[in-house]
Amino acid sequence: MTNAAQWLARIRALALSPAFRIMPTFRIMNVCGGHERSITMAGLRRALPASIELIPGPGCPVCVCPEELIHHAIQIALVDRATLVCFGDMLRVPVNVAKGEVRTLEQARGAGGDVRPIASPLEAVRIARELPDRPVVFFAAGFETTAAPVAAMLAEGVPDNLFVLLATRLTWPVVSMLLNSGEAGFDALIAPGHVATVMGPEEWAAVPAVHGKPAAIAGFTPESLLAAIYSVLRQAAEGRCFLDNCYPELVRPGGNPAARAQLARTMRVSEANWRGIGIIPASGLELADGWRQHDAARRFPEVATPGRKPAGGMPPGCGCAGVVLGRLAAD
Amino acid sequence: MEVLAIDGLMARCGAKGVERDVSLFLLQDQTVAPGDFVLVHVGYAIQTIEAQEARSVWELLDEMMAREQTE
Repeated sequence: MTNAAQWLARIRALALSPAFRIMPTFRIMNVCGGHERSITMAGLRRALPASIELIPGPGCPVCVCPEELIHHAIQIALVDRATLVCFGDMLRVPVNVAKGEVRTLEQARGAGGDVRPIASPLEAVRIARELPDRPVVFFAAGFETTAAPVAAMLAEGVPDNLFVLLATRLTWPVVSMLLNSGEAGFDALIAPGHVATVMGPEEWAAVPAVHGKPAAIAGFTPESLLAAIYSVLRQAAEGRCFLDNCYPELVRPGGNPAARAQLARTMRVSEANWRGIGIIPASGLELADGWRQHDAARRFPEVATPGRKPAGGMPPGCGCAGVVLGRLAAD
Repeated sequence: MEVLAIDGLMARCGAKGVERDVSLFLLQDQTVAPGDFVLVHVGYAIQTIEAQEARSVWELLDEMMAREQTE
C-alpha cells in the first residue's frame, strides 16, 4: 500500500512536469464536509505544491440549508410549541430576523422552546415514543448519506406524532449545475466517497464524460485523498479523463441497493432551494405519497413574519454562497 | 465499526472502545454477522467493509488525530 509520503512525492514530481508548468494553478474541488475536515486536519494544503489548490465546494449540509427552513424550524419550536429535534450542527446557524429576535435554534431553546440535539434518526423515534401526547418534529438536514437513514426510519415505521421537516439535498445536481453554469471554478473534482457508497459511483462519471474534467472518488484518510489528487493530476497531465474510484473498499457499482430502494419508496426528488444559491431543479427530496402524514411542513405550515427579508436572503456578512460555489476561501 | 452482537435489525457495534446501537435496516439484502465490519452514519450501517480495510483506516485516522494533537 502506498503511504502518504509516497503519494506526496508522486504528486510533487507530476506538478513539476512540463504538463503543469504551463498552468499557474490547478484547482481541485471537493464536495464533502468530511473530505474538507480530513484535508484540514492532515494539513494537506501546506504539504502540496503551491500550484495545486484544493477548494471546498457545496459539500456542507449546514452551509447549503436555506435560512427559510431554519426560520421555519424555529417557528415550529416557539410558535407551534412542538418538540424540535435536529443534528447538533444546525443549532447555531443564524437566520434573518429583526434585532433582538430569536435567530438560531439554540436561542429558541433559551427562549423556552423544546429543542433537542440528536445524533441519529433512531433518537428521534425514541423521543417521539417517550412523548406520545406531543408532536415531535425532526428537522433533517444532510445529503444522501443522511437521507438514506431518514428513509430507513420512515420505512421501518414511526409513531403518529413524529413529523419530518426534510432539508436533505442531493450532491450531484448542484455539481452538475456548477459545471453547466460555465463558471465551474475548478479543473478537477474529488467526488464524495460516502455519497457514492450509498448512491453508487455512476452519476459522477458525467464529470469526465460530459464535461471533460478529471474526477476521482476518495475516502477520508490522507492516503485516499492523496491517491485521488494524484489520479486527477495524472488524468490532466495525460489528457485522458475518466472517473477513478480511489475508495473501492466501500464504493461498489450501484452503491447500496437497499438504501436506494428505501429512498425511492419514501421520498421523491424535487426542486430545492440552496442557501445563497437559489432553486436547483431535482436537487432535493420530499416525502412520497403514503408518508405525507409525517410531513412537518404540512402539519405546521409556515406563518408569514412581518419584517423578514424575502426568501433566499442571507444574513449580513454571511459568505456561505461564495464558499460553497468555490469562489471564496473559508477562514 | 465492528459488529459485536445482532438482535433482529439492530446490532451492538464497537470501535476503539466505544459501543453503539446501530440499525442494520439498510443492509437487509446483505448477510451481516458478529465479527463483520460496517460503515456507520447517523446510527445506521450503510455498507459492509472488509476487516483488514477497516483496521487500516483506523490506524490511518489514529495517525492523523495524533498528528493534529501534537501540532
